[in-house]
Amino acid sequence: MLSLKNISKYHKAGSLKTTILQNINLDVDAGEFVSIMGPSGSGKSTLLNIIGMLDEPSEGYQYFLNEPVHQLKDKQRSALYKANIGFVFQAYHLIDELTVYENIETPLLYHDIKSGERKALVADMLDRFQIVGKKDLFPSQLSGGQQQLVGIARALIVSPKLLLADEPTGNLNSKQGDEIMELFSKLNKEEGMTIIQVTHSEKNAAYGTRIINLLDGTIESSKNI
Amino acid sequence: MIKNYLKIAWRNLKRNKAYAFISVTGLALGVTCGILIFTLISYHLSFDNFHKNPDRIYRFYTEWHDGTVGMASAVPQPLGKAYRANFNLSEKTARIISYSGTLISLPGKDIKKFEEKDGVAFTEPEYFDILNFPLIQGDKRNILAKPNQALITENIAKKYWGTSDVIGNTIRLDNKISFTVTGILKDLPANTDRKQEIYVSYANLDEYTDKRHEDAWGGVYSGSQAFTLLKPNVSVERVNAALAQLVKMNFKGRDAKVWNFKIQPLSDIHFNADLDGYADRKYLWALFFIGLFLIITACVNFVNLATAQALNRAKEVGIRKVLGSLPRQLFWQFIAETALITLVATFFAVILAEVSLPLINNLFQSKMQFNWALLAPFIFIIILIVVFLSGSYPGLVLARFQPILALKSKLSQKHIGGFSLRRVLVVVQFSISQVLIIGTIIVVAQLHYSQNTDLGFNKNAIVMVPLPTDDLSKMKTLLNRFNEVNGVEKATLCYSAPASQSNSTTGVNFDHRAEDEHGGINVKAGDVNYLSLFGLKLVAGRNFFAADTTRELLVNETFVKKLNLKPKDVIGKILSIDGHHTTAPIVGVVKDFYNYSFHTEISPICISPNYHSYSNVALKINMHSANSSLASIEKIWNNTFPDELYSYSFLDDSIAKFYEMDNILLKLIEAFAAIAILIGCLGLYGLVSFMAVRKTKEIGVRKVLGASIQHILWLFGKEFCKLLLIAFFIAAPIAWWAMNNYLKDFVYKISIGPSIFLLSIASTFIIAAITVGYRATVAAVTNPVKSLRSE
Repeated sequence: MLSLKNISKYHKAGSLKTTILQNINLDVDAGEFVSIMGPSGSGKSTLLNIIGMLDEPSEGYQYFLNEPVHQLKDKQRSALYKANIGFVFQAYHLIDELTVYENIETPLLYHDIKSGERKALVADMLDRFQIVGKKDLFPSQLSGGQQQLVGIARALIVSPKLLLADEPTGNLNSKQGDEIMELFSKLNKEEGMTIIQVTHSEKNAAYGTRIINLLDGTIESSKNI
Repeated sequence: MIKNYLKIAWRNLKRNKAYAFISVTGLALGVTCGILIFTLISYHLSFDNFHKNPDRIYRFYTEWHDGTVGMASAVPQPLGKAYRANFNLSEKTARIISYSGTLISLPGKDIKKFEEKDGVAFTEPEYFDILNFPLIQGDKRNILAKPNQALITENIAKKYWGTSDVIGNTIRLDNKISFTVTGILKDLPANTDRKQEIYVSYANLDEYTDKRHEDAWGGVYSGSQAFTLLKPNVSVERVNAALAQLVKMNFKGRDAKVWNFKIQPLSDIHFNADLDGYADRKYLWALFFIGLFLIITACVNFVNLATAQALNRAKEVGIRKVLGSLPRQLFWQFIAETALITLVATFFAVILAEVSLPLINNLFQSKMQFNWALLAPFIFIIILIVVFLSGSYPGLVLARFQPILALKSKLSQKHIGGFSLRRVLVVVQFSISQVLIIGTIIVVAQLHYSQNTDLGFNKNAIVMVPLPTDDLSKMKTLLNRFNEVNGVEKATLCYSAPASQSNSTTGVNFDHRAEDEHGGINVKAGDVNYLSLFGLKLVAGRNFFAADTTRELLVNETFVKKLNLKPKDVIGKILSIDGHHTTAPIVGVVKDFYNYSFHTEISPICISPNYHSYSNVALKINMHSANSSLASIEKIWNNTFPDELYSYSFLDDSIAKFYEMDNILLKLIEAFAAIAILIGCLGLYGLVSFMAVRKTKEIGVRKVLGASIQHILWLFGKEFCKLLLIAFFIAAPIAWWAMNNYLKDFVYKISIGPSIFLLSIASTFIIAAITVGYRATVAAVTNPVKSLRSE
């Protein structure tokens, strides 16, 4: 599904060059559930953002669904990720001014989906996550776990091929975290969704099919479970 | 999509009430001014635009080239007739001689009396072929064709008789001549300078004036006008050349060089200040720019606040980008938000404009109305401009955010750009308000100067009442009875007060010189008490002895100076005035006094008794018993002149009226200055809020390091002092230039000194300090632990 070749990322501040990622080579196949681990500052999030095309590498080649991402123009690149990638964040990042229903609906607006169809899709999604009763509440009225559920629902509403999650359980207690991980695992197994998550927790990493350890911007180890 | 945008916009406004309030208020004020100024300007531009063939209608005017150039919108009475008889350039030419302040009485069982301020006009019938004032009753073909006919508007008919069915009724003018109403005119539109509502047969003019002016080329009465409708393809030059021929035919010697007649296009009449135009184009342009500036300021304000808000919106924008929004879609979202604010503001602006229009009409004595057909597109264009001007900048900035940075709250100054831009905007706003502040101070100072400078005569506690008679014994009886009234200290018969809007200027010959003096002399008739009642001082010679006709004369210093003589040298010399009809020796010279407003120069003046000219009684009264004195005066007056309408005025009020236009200007500029300052303060508040957010961490760190609140406040103070000083240095020369032009209209004026500028900058600083103070203090007293933790 995606392939990174010799990816490096560094910042230049005057004559000082800070390397974040160095020479990363990584292939992920459809249907995998990859967990990226590593200490703070090892470049996990940057790697995830590069995969998600929110950030650009300084060097290297990147392919997504056989498209050479490093050669695409901004517009083509955003069209590519818009159609295929869903994001879940540690801090949920719901839009505070919108209700649960509207938050889930927002990506559909950007995909130019008609009103009737939008209603059906959002209703499906609310059902599936059993949050129908909360659809008119605002994010501030929900618990963290519920907010993250909405965040996942929002990511899934456009049926992406790849789900990227940046510490999805980082702000949750362990019970809520377990529920989210169960959900991810189910998505992966039953629907064949490709998932890449960044996590600090060994336990959460174990839900996946592969664990990649990053240290100081390089891949230290990669093992299948 | 649009629904979603509006929903978000609405919720955002509800959440940030202060921001919404400031934005809407600023914009609403700006748009209100825009609407009102647009209405005012389009009202003035619409003047007399309803006539047929407007580009061929002209008015005759007079120019005197006598050293300086004098101009008047009036012409000698025979001019129109001579032009009509001698040249074949016009289709129609009509003379109209108007007299203001006339008395109209309606004969009947109990006589009704009306004082008509705009008076009556002796009019040739062609007038109504040239200008489009339609009849609603009567026969167009023979109106005013015969003597003793009158034409009145429906409005006047209703005022006199309560009905418009009044053909055949009689009106009596100044108890002298009766006219039969033969036609009713449609009410005059508000947008015309032709204010007369009563027109009477031209044939009765000589009877009314007692004198035959019909062939008098040598003088111009200000009410004597003439209009003409040129034939197609006749150029102005040809007509002016024809008029030059008329001068040659009717003037001799030096007069033939002095006198010039020309024609003025109809469209120029309302605007040409030299020819009594009401609305100087200069002031209309000034208003236009003020309106433009206020709208720009409001927009600037809006951009300022919106970009300052951008940081708060960064997270939302980031999420939307991650969810797949294109920059274009985000841009339109911000445009939609701006449009919402703008629409709300416009809504309030329209209400505000509706409420304030009557006030403005009151101020200008005008009858402006909103012309929605014109106003609606204007408002629409304003909305479009405001939305795109103020929506696109924040829209573009926010749409360009890097989503990852936004989500991590790592957005900083350089991403949302333009602190320096914001500074420029605040400087622009404050430059505009300082120009207006300086303008206000100067107009106030000049008016204060005009109204408080010693005018050279006493204007306090003097009452003027009219004297509608030529009968000497009646005058003397009245004067004696007035003198007996308790509280009347002195009384004098006179033509007018030392400073007055009615003046009588005649040619003058000094000491039997071969040629008359240039420029004529202003003759003020008054009896022996004139000097003492008005407190005029003599610099040479003595007052004249009591007399009823001119036996001796006084002149003023200006006249002596024009002769290049010393006051004592003119005493005893012979002066001949009134076309050599009156000749008498000069017995004294009075100290100069201001004989009109400070807009005009002191004229050469002579004072002498002449009962034929007396038309007022001036009474010096004791103000403690003013009420009872005035009541007695009115009673005596009404007994003496039962057919006339009593009126009185205090001299100081009449003098204050010289500055009516200046007072209007003052009120306008005050209002605009207030609004500009208000909008400027809103902008300043926006900037200081933005700075406070931006400097939260810096302030926290400084406080931890031991900075006091004063230190922190100075962080803000330094910044704003700099901006205001820059604004001041931009504003000062512009204001100096503009106000210098304004003061050019005054002959006697204040000088623009440094104190005016100091006052302006001090007041701006105080206003700014109040605006900034609160927000800065809040930022300064925040507990540093809190601000540092949030980072």
